[in-house]
Amino acid sequence: MATAQTKVRPKPFLFPQLCKACGRCIDACPKHCIEFATEIDPQSGLTPIVVHEDVCNGCGLCFDACPEPYGLMPRTADFEGVDMVVSDPYTTFGARTHGAPQAEDIPDRPVPLPAVEPMVLKGNYAAAVGAMLAGCRHFFGYPITPSTEGAELMAKVLPEMHGVFVQAVSEVATVNMMYGCGGAGLRCMTFTSSPGFSLMLEGISYMVGAEVPGVFVNVMRGGPGLGNIGPEQADISLMCRGLGHGNTHAIVLAPSTPQEMLDLTMEAFALAFRYRNPVVIAGDGYLGQVSGRVTLPTHLVQPGIPAWAVYGDAMHRGNLITSIYIVEADLELHNEKLNRKFADMEAAEQRSACLECDDAEWLVIATNTPGRMAGGAVQQLRAEGVKAGLFRPITLWPFPVDALVPLLERARGIVVVEAGPGQLEDELRLALSKRGTMPPPIHAVRRHGGVLPSLAEIVERVRGLTEVSHG
Amino acid sequence: MDNVFYTRFERHAHAEGLKGLSTHYCPGCGHGLVHKFMAEAIEELGVQDRVVAISPVGCAVFMYYYFDVGNSQAAHGRAPAVGIGHKVANPNSIVISYQGDGDLASIGLAEIMQAAQLGLPMTFIFVNNAIYGMTGGQMAPTTLPGQTTTTTPKGRGRLEGGPLRMAEVIAQLDAPVYVERVALFDNKQRHRAAAAIKKAVRLQVENRGLSFVEVLSECPTHLKLTPIEAEQWVKEQMLPYFPLGVKKDETVEPWFDLGTPTFDPEAVLAAIGAPRTTAPRFGSGFPAHLDPEDVAIKFAGSGGDGAQTIASLANRAAINEGCDSTYIPSYGPESRGGTSYADLHVARGEVLSPAAPEPHVLVAFNPQSLAKFGPKVRSGGIILYDTSVVLEVPPLDPTVQVVGIPFTQIALDLGAVRVKNIVALGAFQAATGIFPAESFLTVIREAFEHNCALLPLNEEAFTWGGRAFEQTKTPAGT
Repeated sequence: MATAQTKVRPKPFLFPQLCKACGRCIDACPKHCIEFATEIDPQSGLTPIVVHEDVCNGCGLCFDACPEPYGLMPRTADFEGVDMVVSDPYTTFGARTHGAPQAEDIPDRPVPLPAVEPMVLKGNYAAAVGAMLAGCRHFFGYPITPSTEGAELMAKVLPEMHGVFVQAVSEVATVNMMYGCGGAGLRCMTFTSSPGFSLMLEGISYMVGAEVPGVFVNVMRGGPGLGNIGPEQADISLMCRGLGHGNTHAIVLAPSTPQEMLDLTMEAFALAFRYRNPVVIAGDGYLGQVSGRVTLPTHLVQPGIPAWAVYGDAMHRGNLITSIYIVEADLELHNEKLNRKFADMEAAEQRSACLECDDAEWLVIATNTPGRMAGGAVQQLRAEGVKAGLFRPITLWPFPVDALVPLLERARGIVVVEAGPGQLEDELRLALSKRGTMPPPIHAVRRHGGVLPSLAEIVERVRGLTEVSHG
Repeated sequence: MDNVFYTRFERHAHAEGLKGLSTHYCPGCGHGLVHKFMAEAIEELGVQDRVVAISPVGCAVFMYYYFDVGNSQAAHGRAPAVGIGHKVANPNSIVISYQGDGDLASIGLAEIMQAAQLGLPMTFIFVNNAIYGMTGGQMAPTTLPGQTTTTTPKGRGRLEGGPLRMAEVIAQLDAPVYVERVALFDNKQRHRAAAAIKKAVRLQVENRGLSFVEVLSECPTHLKLTPIEAEQWVKEQMLPYFPLGVKKDETVEPWFDLGTPTFDPEAVLAAIGAPRTTAPRFGSGFPAHLDPEDVAIKFAGSGGDGAQTIASLANRAAINEGCDSTYIPSYGPESRGGTSYADLHVARGEVLSPAAPEPHVLVAFNPQSLAKFGPKVRSGGIILYDTSVVLEVPPLDPTVQVVGIPFTQIALDLGAVRVKNIVALGAFQAATGIFPAESFLTVIREAFEHNCALLPLNEEAFTWGGRAFEQTKTPAGT
């Protein structure tokens, strides 16, 4: 009791212009020494409270009743002689937005991998192995056929590397866990398939907006709706043009073999962090399930932490992950920045593969598993003396138009082969149109609903075209 | 001054005018109080550097304007999922997920339920003011019966359901260690609220588990009341539906430890099962006697026949022998009991088309498979089928070598019907000579590496399959 009597309790201090005049302190004060002022504060336009200090005993209850961080506070020595007109808070509280140190990039480190024998892996497993070699130790996902084996392998193997596997409550939760983990600056991924990918689009838009990296393996299946679990390529428009709301794009990589599932997944992580943007691996149901020979790379990646991350430590305390830019001018600037990034991706990241394209008169364009079928068809056509070639886009966005255009000079026709309704052809036409290139006639071999175009169908289509043109 | 709030709210409209020191909240709003209690807790526990605060969607969407901590802004309802992402990324981070009633108890129900069920040490602050603030006074999941909002203009009625008591919902789950509902309407309640928030953060700092604090808060603007009247409204109207107090408080020892992710190449190779030794080769490479470039094989039967297993074994054997090879399963709608076939390719160069619609070799386990795929076998090809179940052979290309072997009967004689697929594999090897028997036996041994008890049976089944094929070559009557 002696201390209570001798201790001098600080009385309240308030910059009147920071008072919103809610009056909660008035209700809180047991001594009834607070009341609203009668004069309007010229800066805030409100009538702030006033404290009658002669009555106040410094109980401090009003501090805890004031909702404003810089509202009522104990009068300390800091406030002796301060200018009561707060024109710039820095003059009062010091020119410092936060006390966190400057963050720096902790760079990735390549670690040599001892040479090992090739593995026999199905496509989904190969992508999972690629992710682990790329330094991904965090997986979030929701089971969906025909992508689930990838998640299952991660669930089995990641804990052995002290990684984390979380089976999310839904795809919606999955993508938001990735937003958190990617926002912390770490490499994370998911496996999903078309209906699940649809559910992730909201979160992907946020990731693009907030510039959060992450890798999505979309093992495309038959649609629309529940469709079936057969292979299809009908999410191409979604991945290339429809990644949620707003101005979004992501690099879309399209492997066609288990080896490419591994290689391109590793590449995807590098691209995601290079551009601070999600990357999508577009597989198909068939590729996810097909087993084949896979050679491991010479190095694995020990990832660092980028300077921008919200990791939850002192160095990254000043950082923020957000997609909100409430001031229109700020959001326009942000979109212009994103547009520059998208333009950089379009210029630098086009990838494609060619088979017998150099003197091809008939260009078959196909990707994923249909790309394999088309490769077989081209070989068969060549054996028959038809000058056919396969142009296989490996990036669907950006479409590899730079490599394609020179091939068109010689081409008498294009045959786009796809397990879908023509979305690859749409990307092709849009890319050529933007380039101002007039293509030769474009023909199509399309199957749907989980049915892949067969080698024989492709051969027949091209052969038919050569016969028409000869006739 | 060095505290948990920024000394200037730079992100609040670039700190123009008074915004550098004022929140965006309406006068009398409870959010500011909860922010202050959160700041006090962070400061007293000395964890400012480690905190990741998740801003929600709703009036607290701009929480990151104020807290000098790591900030992450989440989509509507998803703060718990974003928080989990942060917490597992850095288990040492202190994740505080802050949500309003629409965010947590409506659109984000699935996310908060999963987070609470997982129970990672995280702190959840749930601000319940019984109304949607940011969108302008619509019904919340916690809106009271009869309460008028812009979407319940005649008061919340039977068709709009009743208020959701989240603290009670969360408290009945196993994982959360501490759940309390507090309020802000008088000095005593504010004192309790501050203490509850501090405890909720402390339990995370001590690595004990998940805490959930529901704060009954005032929204004078949309209740159309003065701040003082709003305090009274919470006390008189909300408390009957939302009783205050501790809903759960368990003593749990610190447990959360994820270890440190490893990037050691040896550990990684071991975990992914990369083969360290060169597989022995027994053959002379590509089986050109079957096709000059690419051999297509189909194994077909019902789910459970084991067609997938032997296709997978043959795939591995082919790769061990230095060929390119692909294997693709094609199941019926059910994984058991439906039709099941597997396509295998073995190529000298690269397998292009992995499907085998017109195979060189067919192994058929039942009459349907033989009838369906038999006619597709290329001329000069080979068909092996199970005479135990196929009683009638459909008309087939006379150039195709059709061999019937009682796969099932042989397996039964060996004492295990399930090895009929390995019997078939033995017959397949003998009939095609695709690779030497030893290369198949090697992959069989590898497959049973961890189940040695079953290995002799499978080796025997393989040998009997081959022997049965040889016997079919003995001319009848000798």
